[in-house]
Amino acid sequence: MRDIWYCYPGASSWALKEVSIELGSGEIMLVAGHNGSGKTTLLKIAGLIYRPTRGEVSVDGCDFWMLEEAEKIMVRRRITYIHEEPVLMRGSVLENIMYPLRIRGLGREDAAMKAKTIMRELELMDLADKSTKELSAGQSQLVAIARALAAEPELILLDEPFAHLDSWKSGLIAQVLQARRRNGVGIVIASHGRGELPEGLEPDRIIILEDGRIRGMKG
Amino acid sequence: MSLAFSEILEVTVRSLYVSGLATLLSASWSVPAAYLLSFRQRVGVLEAVVESLVGMPTVLLGLLLYMLLSSSGPLGPLRLLYTPHAMIIGQSILVTPLIISTCYRALRVIAVPYLELALSMGASRSQAMMLILRESAPGVVASAVMGFSRAVGELGIAMMVGGNIRGSTMVLTTAIALGVTRGEFEAAIILGVILLALTIATALSVKTLMGAGSR
Repeated sequence: MRDIWYCYPGASSWALKEVSIELGSGEIMLVAGHNGSGKTTLLKIAGLIYRPTRGEVSVDGCDFWMLEEAEKIMVRRRITYIHEEPVLMRGSVLENIMYPLRIRGLGREDAAMKAKTIMRELELMDLADKSTKELSAGQSQLVAIARALAAEPELILLDEPFAHLDSWKSGLIAQVLQARRRNGVGIVIASHGRGELPEGLEPDRIIILEDGRIRGMKG
Repeated sequence: MSLAFSEILEVTVRSLYVSGLATLLSASWSVPAAYLLSFRQRVGVLEAVVESLVGMPTVLLGLLLYMLLSSSGPLGPLRLLYTPHAMIIGQSILVTPLIISTCYRALRVIAVPYLELALSMGASRSQAMMLILRESAPGVVASAVMGFSRAVGELGIAMMVGGNIRGSTMVLTTAIALGVTRGEFEAAIILGVILLALTIATALSVKTLMGAGSR
């Protein structure tokens, strides 16, 4: 992302100013900052959801927003953003985790099999047939993460993922993310600070955002 | 008035037909309009205008339609006045602001997060739209049910452009009004109970259906 500026429609001030960062594979990056510092905006721009007001978002050297619609879909399938407040679909947990696989054209049985592999990894098998309406906040977050992992992205963007999780679930997520990182997946976590990350999840780089600007970088 | 059972049934079926069709007709343009609104950032003025039209007096709308549809009006040659078609058109216009407003309120909290979810999962535009439609279905159906309740319970339009013609345009509300005018309160109460039961039954059956669908 090069020289990114972002202003929300109708807003009078910039949510992001002059942000330039490179997101690499196989590394964990922490985007730290207070509420309103621009963490979510940055992640949504990196997740190819928001189009920056100014600046360039490149994937493999190509300006994403200049691509054809079909190419955009293919690029988006390599990057997954997970909301701070989990956005789950109506229906069962299994159906939710199957969603990215189904939209990629996988048959119902294949998608279910693949989804169940992820669910076993995140110890969600007991919830497979449960309606998403009946889940706790922590369970919802786990399901949202499982659904994102099912898409097998090259880059995972997590917006305050540990806010609703107890230490056991946080530890489980840390293990799963570390395993993905070893396989070359890039991970970006937005959080108030390093202290909120569970043990065993050491960021390779830390970016400190303040008032929409990068105020510091470590690593 | 003393209505026979067969006539009560006929009036009830006609009420369902006229108001049901009016609701479907209105939903065909109100729901897309609510979808368009839900993706817009600044809709304050438009939202206020639509909401203020929700409480539009039915007699006023009935009067306007009467002037349009009467033989000397611009749509007179269509010969729609005092037909169920005129009532359907009038009721569909009446419930439009209500369906847009309630549907928009349900959609505005759903549309953006689910669009973002679909995009981040790598969905195409049509797949994203399908997801939003699926997730918003309970809200959309609830707004249509509210529209139907408003349509089936209105009197002004049915009376002014329908004419309360026995065997042709008489519906539950106009039959009740006629019963009261003639002092036949027993028949009016029976029809009133049917009207109330119809509204409650519609809401309950839709709620049950939606509940079963979301499991």
